[in-house]
Amino acid sequence: MSTPGGEGPLPRRIAHFDLDAFFVAVERLRDATLIGKPVLVGGRGPRSVVATASYEARKFGCHSAQPMVQALRLCPQAIVVPPDLARYRALSIEFHNVLRSISPVVESAGLDEAYVDLTGIGDGPGAARAAAEAIRARVRETIGLAVSAGIAGGKTAAKVASDRAKPNGLLDIPEGGDAAFLAPLPMRELPTVGAKLAEALQAVGVRTIGQIAELDVRWLQRRFGSSGATLSERARGIDTNEVRAVPRAAVSVSREVTFEADVTDLDELRQTLQRHAERVGSDLRHAGRRARTVTLKVRWPDFSMVTRSRTVVRPAQTTAELASLASALLDEVFAELGQRPVRLIGLGATNLVEDAVQLSFENAPVLRDERLDRAVDAIRDRFGDSAVSRGRPGRERP
Amino acid sequence: MRVKCQQEHLNRALSAVSRAVPSRSVLPITQHILVEANNGQLKLSATDAETIAITYTITANVTQAGSITMPSRLLSDFVATLPRDEIEMTLAERSRQVSLACARNSASIGGMDPDEFPPIPSVEGAGAIEIEPERLREALEHVVFAAATDDSRPVLTGVDFAIGPQGIRLAAADGFRLAVFQLDLAGAGQEREVIVPARALGELSRLLAEAQQPARMTVNAGQTQVLFDLGHATLIANLIQGTFPNYQQLIPASSATRTVVAVDGFKQETRLASIFARDGSGIVRLIATPGAAGATGRLLVTARAEEIGNNEGEIDAEVTGEEAKIAFNSRYLIEVLNVISEPRVAIETSSPSAPGVLKPVGDDRYVHVVMPMFVQW
Repeated sequence: MSTPGGEGPLPRRIAHFDLDAFFVAVERLRDATLIGKPVLVGGRGPRSVVATASYEARKFGCHSAQPMVQALRLCPQAIVVPPDLARYRALSIEFHNVLRSISPVVESAGLDEAYVDLTGIGDGPGAARAAAEAIRARVRETIGLAVSAGIAGGKTAAKVASDRAKPNGLLDIPEGGDAAFLAPLPMRELPTVGAKLAEALQAVGVRTIGQIAELDVRWLQRRFGSSGATLSERARGIDTNEVRAVPRAAVSVSREVTFEADVTDLDELRQTLQRHAERVGSDLRHAGRRARTVTLKVRWPDFSMVTRSRTVVRPAQTTAELASLASALLDEVFAELGQRPVRLIGLGATNLVEDAVQLSFENAPVLRDERLDRAVDAIRDRFGDSAVSRGRPGRERP
Repeated sequence: MRVKCQQEHLNRALSAVSRAVPSRSVLPITQHILVEANNGQLKLSATDAETIAITYTITANVTQAGSITMPSRLLSDFVATLPRDEIEMTLAERSRQVSLACARNSASIGGMDPDEFPPIPSVEGAGAIEIEPERLREALEHVVFAAATDDSRPVLTGVDFAIGPQGIRLAAADGFRLAVFQLDLAGAGQEREVIVPARALGELSRLLAEAQQPARMTVNAGQTQVLFDLGHATLIANLIQGTFPNYQQLIPASSATRTVVAVDGFKQETRLASIFARDGSGIVRLIATPGAAGATGRLLVTARAEEIGNNEGEIDAEVTGEEAKIAFNSRYLIEVLNVISEPRVAIETSSPSAPGVLKPVGDDRYVHVVMPMFVQW
């Protein structure tokens, strides 16, 4: 057990959060009369499948991905509700946001489930559990839904644990206890064991995860190839896969500079903005983003500050677009407040969207700028920022 | 003025003409509707005094002819809420108060001097063109949505009517897409080209939905105004002055890939993808793959939502030519697919940054060109 300042890595604490009967729960928020009744979310067509079954319906043998016709045969009294994907999606975003508010390392595994790395979240063995309880409480508070959680040393055991914790529960597997927890469970509980694999394993008398763990790895490898080795590891509670946080898409990119001496020269201010635009543009291009809004920030010698923003229809990314917007905003500020010395000037890009641009029948020149910027980026990535610079009309290099 | 009419008739007339009433105006009287009773008829007129005027005539029992204007919003809301019964309107000429009685309700509404109402132009010109209402409506539905909604280029807020002996070629474009529909008409008359505001045509479409007789389209001699006379209703619009861009050159003459798909399946997949595309810029990616050795090809329709997930749908497609990748704004695709009534549509593409062309299979009257989105694949 490591202590603060001690040596060795902290024991991994991976949590898996899974919203209980997500779609059904959302429908019940909207229509309370569905509470306590068997509910099936899905279409009614002859080929529709069940998207989610409430726990009441599951008692009759209904489950997701089952043909609706079959589910209704098992539970004719079930209430069928058509899915509202847009609503589920909106709540899913909020759910993920709550997780991210507690830990930055969140890996989404679907609309209604995600892994969170709680390693080192606090001192003592109960810290991860406390954090997970806090998340569960906050999810209930913010979106009104029950979420079950499993905490273990690896993702696989955490997912199995959250499944066992349902409904609305939390299962904390003690450190180093993943294998012991999994061993007595039916093998189908292991996420990697599908119907086919289960059949093959059953043929050799395997029923529990523990029994898989006892099988000879070499036999598994021969029989199932490389996935056989993975299977053996998972069954023995070994899962070193990281929680891969999708890097959160950047929300803003900006550059600013405080001048050594206050600057009055408009030309110099414009050039500074041009340099900012190159940096901001390059950041945007590397991040694969475009900005709907461009903000100019100016600090005067008395430390007071003004900001001016412009939101454009066509999200901007090229150096040329950013520089021209920034320059126009600077003109606006001076036209309004009168030209005066500047202590700091900054350029920010916010309201970022995916890197794409609607082509028009007339925007060939824009595409030319796009290609130019990418070429400049490529050179700079390889040879450094000073390798290439933009010519300025009307100015000759000394 | 003293007149009796049916609530449902008056209600229908009011909802038709009130669409011409501007939401805001410097001229207060344009917020009013002109009501004229004469010869067994009640005629309602409204105009924004700029672009559009609509009149609608219903039969009425006129005991005393006369005219008045009344505030559009108040009158429309009031009449719409009345029971289906006879309405009697009586104007007190001196005070310009109109009393309305219907069943056991009565109201009094203050009007304004009808002489101050902006004149509804009478459009006269040679060679009215007669068009069956459903055919005109079909033509309008195919193009009006593609017109520009911002006025940075005024001509693009209109629909170009190229009139010739074969009929009318309607075209609308907003810089990102172009819709062209050939309305075949024998004897449409001499060659002329006029640009009609798309907004007015949207209203015309509504009026056409209940029209019984052929619409008569008349352009005045000075080519400044157009009249669509539907018998019971008329719509007059000021034509947009200027030259419509030469759009023929925007329609690619050839393509590298032709993908034929079922409209319904394609629309469904695009809608699904658009749910995921909503956060970003509404981007839907299409990948068309020809089938190997005579087998059916496929069209993959995908979208991503950052941090959330992605959507992928696949439909059967007859793909001729090379594999194609292209991204479009989902809204542009859905809007064009919505107006195609043929079961199948051909998507013709040449490169990820070249315009895509959509054509209903088996109906060469319609061509729709959409500019793609430049994306990182």
